[in-house]
Amino acid sequence: MSDHPGSSVLEVEGLNVFYGTFQAVRDVSFNVKSGEIFGLLGPNGAGKTSTLSSVEGLLKPRSGEVSVAGFNIRKQPLHARSCMGVQLQATSFQPELTLTEIIKLYAGIYGVPLAKEKLNTILQNIKLEEAANKKFGQLSGGQQQRVSLVIATIHDPVLVLLDEPTSGLDPQSRRQLWERIEAIRGKGHAVLLTTHSMEEAEAVCDRIAIIDHGRIIAIDTPQSLIDLHRNDPSVIGVSRKGKITLEDVFIGLTGRTVRS
Amino acid sequence: MALPAELFVHKNFEMEATIPKPSDALLSLMRADFTTQWRNRRAVIMSLLVPVIILISWKGLVDKFGGAFVLSISMTIGLTSIGLMGYAISIARDRDKGVFQRLRVTPVPTFFIMLSRLLVQLAMIILLILFVFIIGHNFDKITLSPAGYALTFITAFIGGALYLGLGQMIVGLVKNSETVNSTTRLVYIAFIVLGMFGELGLFGDKLKVIIHWSPFGTVKTILAASMEPLTWNSESSLALLATVVYAFAFSFFGIKWFKWNTGGA
Repeated sequence: MSDHPGSSVLEVEGLNVFYGTFQAVRDVSFNVKSGEIFGLLGPNGAGKTSTLSSVEGLLKPRSGEVSVAGFNIRKQPLHARSCMGVQLQATSFQPELTLTEIIKLYAGIYGVPLAKEKLNTILQNIKLEEAANKKFGQLSGGQQQRVSLVIATIHDPVLVLLDEPTSGLDPQSRRQLWERIEAIRGKGHAVLLTTHSMEEAEAVCDRIAIIDHGRIIAIDTPQSLIDLHRNDPSVIGVSRKGKITLEDVFIGLTGRTVRS
Repeated sequence: MALPAELFVHKNFEMEATIPKPSDALLSLMRADFTTQWRNRRAVIMSLLVPVIILISWKGLVDKFGGAFVLSISMTIGLTSIGLMGYAISIARDRDKGVFQRLRVTPVPTFFIMLSRLLVQLAMIILLILFVFIIGHNFDKITLSPAGYALTFITAFIGGALYLGLGQMIVGLVKNSETVNSTTRLVYIAFIVLGMFGELGLFGDKLKVIIHWSPFGTVKTILAASMEPLTWNSESSLALLATVVYAFAFSFFGIKWFKWNTGGA
């Protein structure tokens, strides 16, 4: 697979998702370019995971188009999925399988030849050589996230989708994961991630979209969003440190009300 | 001089996409599913244990009711166990854990995920048939004709399809894995008690007729008839038809109502 610098790897156009009569995603459009980390931010129930699930092809939107590397996710799902790697919010592998078996399973599914040396290199890279024969459930949260990420990228996809990749991780594991995500960008690939952490969004994302009530209400680089809303009274009103942060912008735009 | 990045922007371009060979993907899925089944071998043993207990404890009834009756009851119970306790519970658990959602975001045709699971159950059915034949032969001295053995394999697969369909319908109807667990156990116990003893007429003639044409009774009837092909009659053919209809109906609704995750997406 080859990707073109700065070209759109993911195109989302006029996405509308419904659960019965409830509209979870409203006319959402954005794109993610190669060599870019794009963050999707929003309060609980804002429509982040529904948007991501539509991109992954797990949800059928009522209307709108999603294309991955030029392949429409509904019309050419296998082509589109072969170009993307996914880390779901809940790490989910057969609990009876060992780490080695899980890696072999997904390498086989993606048609990646996996000689013993390559498998050892993968395990060494994620510092889990000793845990090769452990079952997934026996690993710590940080180790599980590393396994999930390595499986999401085992076929070197041009687009990596990460649903709240660092939730529940300690600061060390989180930093390590950020470095791994940045390394994916370093290879010229695109990353779309959802997060609740403003620190994470500021630290790793090149661009972010803030989504609320299913609608994208702001989209830009973290710094540009801060600059744009610096004098917004709703943002100044929620500022706690005298200095406007991305979190202030986020709360200013989405409101103080706690979502379920 | 380096060219500006904008020159490389190609909206809506198509990258090279390498879709893995379907056979490779299916083999990988099957390897994982068979490994999972092997690691759950205690559950496998339990599936085989009840038919074996029936074969051993009903030894005295072989002369009274015939070898085909005892073998067919034993095999029907085993098939019920595979479809309900093995297949349905494992599907419900993996759905609950999000295993299917993780597999569905890969470039594997969705039906491969289920096909691999069904092939594991097919292997279980073969194991059950062999087990029942061997124990029946060695312990109860029941021997069938070559045609009887061959026909039983075919009807056991049809019966197995019925119970896998029933298991599929339960996981289609019930979302919660714990509820699936208890529901399948209840149905299984009901099948054992009503099926085994109802067929003997212990619950009265009316219930005997109902049980005879129930999913338990029709499978038992076709298995018994195929073990002694000369006894196959119009009632056996009707039971075969009923079994096929049950299998299709259960599978149809099971697939129609099935959700890949408990969240409803």
